[in-house]
Amino acid sequence: MIYTQKIMILAKKELKDAFSSPLIYVLTGLFSLMMGWLFFNYLLQSRQMTTTTMTQGVITPIFGNINFIFIFLCPLITMRSFAEEKKQHTLDLLLRSQLTEMQIILGKFISNLSMVLFMLALTLLFPLILAFSGYSDWGVVWSSYLGIVLCLMAYTSVGIFCSSLTDNQIVASLLTFCILLGSMLLVISVNATNNYLLALMVQYLTIPFHYEGFTRGILKSYSLVYFATYLAFFFLLTLKSLQSRKW
Amino acid sequence: MELAIEIEKLCKSYPGRMALDNVTFNVKKGSIHGFLGPNGAGKSTTMKILSGLIPETSGKYSVNGKVGFLPEHPPVYPNMSVIDYLKFVYAIYAPVVNLAHIDEVMTKTGLTDVKDRLIGNLSKGYQQRVGIAQAIVHSPEIIILDEPTVGLDPVAIADIRALILELKKDHTILFSSHQLHDVELLCSEITLINRGEIVVSGAIDTILNSLKTNMIIKARVKSFTSEHKKKMISEFGVDAVEVTEDLEQKNTMLRISTKGKTDIRSELARFLVEPSIGLLEFIEERGDLEDLFKRMHQ
Repeated sequence: MIYTQKIMILAKKELKDAFSSPLIYVLTGLFSLMMGWLFFNYLLQSRQMTTTTMTQGVITPIFGNINFIFIFLCPLITMRSFAEEKKQHTLDLLLRSQLTEMQIILGKFISNLSMVLFMLALTLLFPLILAFSGYSDWGVVWSSYLGIVLCLMAYTSVGIFCSSLTDNQIVASLLTFCILLGSMLLVISVNATNNYLLALMVQYLTIPFHYEGFTRGILKSYSLVYFATYLAFFFLLTLKSLQSRKW
Repeated sequence: MELAIEIEKLCKSYPGRMALDNVTFNVKKGSIHGFLGPNGAGKSTTMKILSGLIPETSGKYSVNGKVGFLPEHPPVYPNMSVIDYLKFVYAIYAPVVNLAHIDEVMTKTGLTDVKDRLIGNLSKGYQQRVGIAQAIVHSPEIIILDEPTVGLDPVAIADIRALILELKKDHTILFSSHQLHDVELLCSEITLINRGEIVVSGAIDTILNSLKTNMIIKARVKSFTSEHKKKMISEFGVDAVEVTEDLEQKNTMLRISTKGKTDIRSELARFLVEPSIGLLEFIEERGDLEDLFKRMHQ
């Protein structure tokens, strides 16, 4: 109980700080503008394509776009988390406190995830608008949301790790972006091989492969395992990065 | 006497460089201990090890009690108000938050008037106070302050000094500085460190006396002839007298160094008061830290 309380103290402080600075609002505005425009276009298109359903014509592509745009936005949200603490010399304050390193990481993770979920929450308007016109395939919508939330958790964990490596926010965000984009492009580079088993293995390691299932309304147990290990792996890396001052 | 901090043969090495080399000294409970040395001597490294931020390479130390630490740069969040910041620090350092205690700390450090202002908008002196407040908010027995007065204006320095004296009532304080003046006003004991090695550690009076081989007196007089100089050397056995004319103020500066440590100030003053010389100023020159280090190297 106390363990989570201490995490929440840090997370609350981080959130208060983030929501009193303009960055989050600028990013949210930009994101909403882009998504609203895309949603509008898909709606217009779907009117002409009478053979496709609303799910195929609007929901699936819009979630694909949300995922892609967050690859750019997540690094901008997470870049501050440790880099700024280092620059302000406040990281030592946290490390000397009663918080364990893992509690600090989880506190940062929760606050950063809350910020990206805040941005995502505004897209709930789209299914709501569709609902007024009689859309009813809610299973796909909710599984897509579950998929995007899992992706955002993964992106945030990468971002926090990169931020813990440097005291420069720009370096942190670029590094996060490179890792995220790189792991997305991994699936393309598999085209080079004829080895089926290798291709399957590499495919399993990429986020889009798992996300794709969620957007079609399919929940695969191994995808959940994948995201859980992905998070654990990057938490572990962040932990090692924080402990490296003692090496 | 009970010891608050015991350090024995502490070493810290970075690749190709020895930051601390067999550092050994003690801090007595309830004292203000000055930790002196030029930049890069190893003061901050020692303090970081004592506060548990970085591990030592070898040797051992024991800190008997909770530690409050003010690093060289006060670890403050510029976007937080003073009171929110102190609440946050208190919450992550102590299991239970007691708001009355925060008020007490703010009163002690003189922050009550600015408690709702953002830390980033405060002056450097006030930010330093916030830094000290964060070090004492969880009621530690030992406070470690790394150069608390550096970069502040004279008024702020005096304030911080008064604050440190005030804190002495309840805490043991180890603080570093490269201003001998600060240290002389505050400390009963000092430790001198240079290039990672302890030069000397002990009571301040003993150390200052042992370092002094002679006394240097500066005087300003109306006129001073070679006759006077001869008389002074023969009568008081002074080692040397430097005479410089101050053309601007139309008088003469004397720099008199004595042989040995015997205090001849009163005799000398009586001699200089004589109407033909006319004493205007009379002061014992006190060496600063730089001086001490130069002398130690010689």
